[in-house]
Amino acid sequence: MGNKQTIFTAQQLDAYQDCTFFTRKEIIRLFHRYRDLAPQLIPLDYTSGPDVKVPYELIGSMPELKENPFRQRIAEVFSEDGEGNMTLDDFLDMFSVLSEMAPKDLKAYYAFKIYDFNNDDYICKSDLEKTLSQLTRSELSEDESRLVCEKVIDEADLDNDGRLSLDDFQHMIGRAPDFLSTFHIRI
Amino acid sequence: MLATLLLVLSSVSVAVTDLYVPETSARTERALAAAPVPSPTAPLHISEERSDAGIALARSADWHEPAATTDRSEPSHHGGGYKIVQWEWSYVQTPYIIAIWILVASVAKILFHFSQRVTTVVPESCLLILLGLVLGGIVLIANKKQLYQLDPGLFFLFLLPTIVGDAGYFMPSRLFFDNLGAILLYAVVGTLWNAFCTGFSLYGAKLAGMIDEKVEAGMMEFLLFGALISAVDPVAVLAVFEEVHVNETLFIIVFGESLLNDAVTVVLYKVYISFVEVGPGNIHTADYFKGVASFFIVSIGGTVVGLIFALILAFATRFTKRVRIIEPLFVFLLVYLAYLTAELLSLSSILSMTFCGIGCNKYVEANISQKSRTTVKYTMKTLASIAETIIFIFLGISAVDKSKWAWDTGLVSCTLIFIFVFRAMGVVMQTWVLNRFRLVPLDKIDQVVMSYGGLRGAVAFALVVLLDGDHVKAKDYFVATTIIVIFFTVMFQGLTIKPLVKWLKVPRSTSRKPTINEEIHERAFDHILAAVEDIAGLNGYHHWRDKWEQFDKNYLSKLLMRKSVYHKGELWEVYQKINIRDAISLIDQTTQSSAGRKEQGGNVLSSARLSLPSMASRTSFSEVANVTNYLRGNESGVCLDLQVIDMVPSGKVQEETETHHLLTGNLYKPRRRYQAHYSRHFMTVGDKERQDREVFQRNMRSRFESFKSTRHKGKGRHKKDRSQKKRKGSDAKEQDVNGKPRRNVSWQDTAVLNADSEEEKSENSDPEKEEDVGITFVARRADEIPKQGPKSASVSLETCQSPSVMPPSPTCAEKHLPWKGGGGTLPVCVSMETTKIIPIDLQQAWNQSISSLESLASPPVQAEPQHPRVAAICRQEGVRAPGGRFQFPSEEEEDAQSPQQQEMQPLMCSGRPPPQAPLPNQGTGRRPPNFNPCVYLRSLVTAPPPGSEPHSRGPTQL
Repeated sequence: MGNKQTIFTAQQLDAYQDCTFFTRKEIIRLFHRYRDLAPQLIPLDYTSGPDVKVPYELIGSMPELKENPFRQRIAEVFSEDGEGNMTLDDFLDMFSVLSEMAPKDLKAYYAFKIYDFNNDDYICKSDLEKTLSQLTRSELSEDESRLVCEKVIDEADLDNDGRLSLDDFQHMIGRAPDFLSTFHIRI
Repeated sequence: MLATLLLVLSSVSVAVTDLYVPETSARTERALAAAPVPSPTAPLHISEERSDAGIALARSADWHEPAATTDRSEPSHHGGGYKIVQWEWSYVQTPYIIAIWILVASVAKILFHFSQRVTTVVPESCLLILLGLVLGGIVLIANKKQLYQLDPGLFFLFLLPTIVGDAGYFMPSRLFFDNLGAILLYAVVGTLWNAFCTGFSLYGAKLAGMIDEKVEAGMMEFLLFGALISAVDPVAVLAVFEEVHVNETLFIIVFGESLLNDAVTVVLYKVYISFVEVGPGNIHTADYFKGVASFFIVSIGGTVVGLIFALILAFATRFTKRVRIIEPLFVFLLVYLAYLTAELLSLSSILSMTFCGIGCNKYVEANISQKSRTTVKYTMKTLASIAETIIFIFLGISAVDKSKWAWDTGLVSCTLIFIFVFRAMGVVMQTWVLNRFRLVPLDKIDQVVMSYGGLRGAVAFALVVLLDGDHVKAKDYFVATTIIVIFFTVMFQGLTIKPLVKWLKVPRSTSRKPTINEEIHERAFDHILAAVEDIAGLNGYHHWRDKWEQFDKNYLSKLLMRKSVYHKGELWEVYQKINIRDAISLIDQTTQSSAGRKEQGGNVLSSARLSLPSMASRTSFSEVANVTNYLRGNESGVCLDLQVIDMVPSGKVQEETETHHLLTGNLYKPRRRYQAHYSRHFMTVGDKERQDREVFQRNMRSRFESFKSTRHKGKGRHKKDRSQKKRKGSDAKEQDVNGKPRRNVSWQDTAVLNADSEEEKSENSDPEKEEDVGITFVARRADEIPKQGPKSASVSLETCQSPSVMPPSPTCAEKHLPWKGGGGTLPVCVSMETTKIIPIDLQQAWNQSISSLESLASPPVQAEPQHPRVAAICRQEGVRAPGGRFQFPSEEEEDAQSPQQQEMQPLMCSGRPPPQAPLPNQGTGRRPPNFNPCVYLRSLVTAPPPGSEPHSRGPTQL
């Protein structure tokens, strides 16, 4: 226990607690998780708030992730610099969003961000096509993916502007019963 | 009304067997006996038999004696002699009664399902129990004594195994193992908790004076009773839950619990029985430990026995290739033997059978033939269904028995209250513990349904009947209470669980199709979650399963699966299977579409064909003289259901279904998806099968993709095709005038196959193999035929053309000198490109599927009446062709991509009448509007290279 006190100062812990949906214990556990990503990079002492990042190369090269089509996008969305290099704050953020306590709107917002590849705050056709190609491993033909994208937008686009805004997205996702309820991770 | 009908029916059936039959027997015997004059003893004889009649039906052997004596007395009465017809009741008695009972059960089932309204409200099990009560009442009135009851021996040796075997063999194993922790907790801890609490509380109630003094039972007896009454019953749970359709997780937890708690029940029951027998005073502390030890031995031993038999069974089916016919028998025998062996060793037989079924399923299904699979499935379901019916009827009948009416209100009400309360408490406490570990916690509503779904059933009844009345003084009271408890749970809770589930809005297992958005986002979310989990270095949710799968792949599959199956992989087999299926459906569709076209044209082929209006798709069946020809037909869109043909969905619906299909075929599978549903009465297409189909279609699509890209240089071509298609209607007319069934071959389609299509296939199959069981593609229902809407021509073409034929491989000479091939030996035009590229395995698959198709399809009636003409022309043209077009055969042969060369090929086969005239540039399924062979072939010969514009419009030019 004494060990853990030295990782964060009390203020830091309080701040983290305020900013996330976690308890102190969970924060410390998450920190150890984070540190496991790159034990040589991350100091055990965070009291001075060192500016350490786990580079994306490390995350993306994890064997478990190799198959995952969204690995880069997730890292990008949740990292502050937008390039997938994650600080501890980013890491905690990510789990906070995905925790059970997080409100649905927040989850929907982040899900939306993950889809929004070109960061223009709308899911447009190109975003959808990208999503699709990742989901299908680029095995759809142009025609096919266009068809699917048209349908998707047609289905969810409430204001008929040909792209999905966050509102559209939230509405669409809210309609599905157990959609966001499964969008969480137990740490 | 239904009830009265049933009553009449059942009473008649009983009466017939009970009374009428012996009477007639006497009469016939009298009539046929040597002595023509009715002796004065005859009436007496009849009455004698009548009094015996009740016993006549009794299963007990006692009846044999009087029957035999009467039988024997008869001939002596009439002075012996040869009897032409004899009444051999005693000979057929046992099987006859069994058959009659099964018949009654089946007829009852039929009648129940006549009325939709009744069966949707009242579970079948309730109706069956009621019917049993009525039947029992009739028997009781007729005989003053109950002759039938659910005999524990019969129940445990025959009825229960069929149900458990079915449940085990078709257990959705992934769902089961995903929830194994929860199931085990509920089964072991929950049952123990229930047993002890109920037992002790009943004892407390007895001490408190709530239970009458007449019930002579001490603590041990009550504990014994608690043990047998506390176990949730698999039969009842299945019967009720199947009709409620709660979500899969909930169902598997309750059902799994009911299966696995057998070990606990058996051990507790046996321990208590022995304790009761020796008397509470003589129990040593060591005995308690022995009891605990025996629990482990019984449960683990049962499981091990089951797994051993699973191993044997899987191994045995490896070698049944030559004796396919007994494959199903092996499955039944060994699964049943697993049960009996466990029973023999007094281990948990239910556990043994369940695990035998779960364990062997994968390997057996891979080893045995498709037909055996169907046989196993149907036979198991039939047996289980009928066993369940009989169990419930007999439960009803058993209740109508004076000897069991040892009613004690205190005991009954206390038991009912206690089992309900403790079940609820147990569920809540265990769920609380469990939810700390579960990713998706069980919420309150789930808990309510789980506690409410704790149904008791026939197992408890059989166990209580088995009690020894000498040792357990209160046996009669226990029996009566058990019956009441069973009736209450099955009937009251079974009746009310449906409204309850509805009222609580328990998530049901829905068959609603997800919207496209949902479909995409769900997959995406799964991937995202998996990624985050992995980033966090969590010890993957499926860590252990992955380990097991590796072990399975590396060792078990090698040992237990046929070499052929194993080496070629499931994929290959599935591929073959699906080839056949899709080809069949393609035929259906092709015939249908051609029929449709003919109607458009207002003309019909006047050849002898079926003209059943209801079977529109079959009307042109004679046209399918040669199935392989038809396989080459290009118009497609698989249609499996004849009914659907009449349905004309709106454009939007069509598009949506296409999109769905597109997605299901293509979405790359995430790791954690499962959907399984267990039902005895309805056989759904296995998830795996659906998935396999998708994979197949995907494969074929990619093949055609590659073909099209080489052949048509892109998509522009498609649009032309589409515009051509619109002309089809008028084209069809023209064609019908010519009276020629279309024989165009799209063999170019099959011809060019990129070598990478093979690679693509394996690539596609990789995730399929690895992630196998868990992922479900939404099945493509029959009404989801990709219609050839303007937007989706490519989709439907690609998905549905799949089964175009890859013809059998030609000989070497044919390969190199195409014109030397033929001579009628080859059933279809052979494209050398095809045969070169397709690996041998696939060729075999094709060949097999083709041959099976040929046997399936109609016999070659109307065997292409136009052949001679075509052939003649063909020969003419064939002579001309080489001069006109084929100047450099040797060079062109080298060019694998040369379409001309492929087109020329059939012309080269001058010796034989090509059943289909190959159409250049009709690649993606345009029918030639005019099928006059002369014109057609001319156009072929003078055709410019296929890429060129005018040629693609060939038909219209003419």
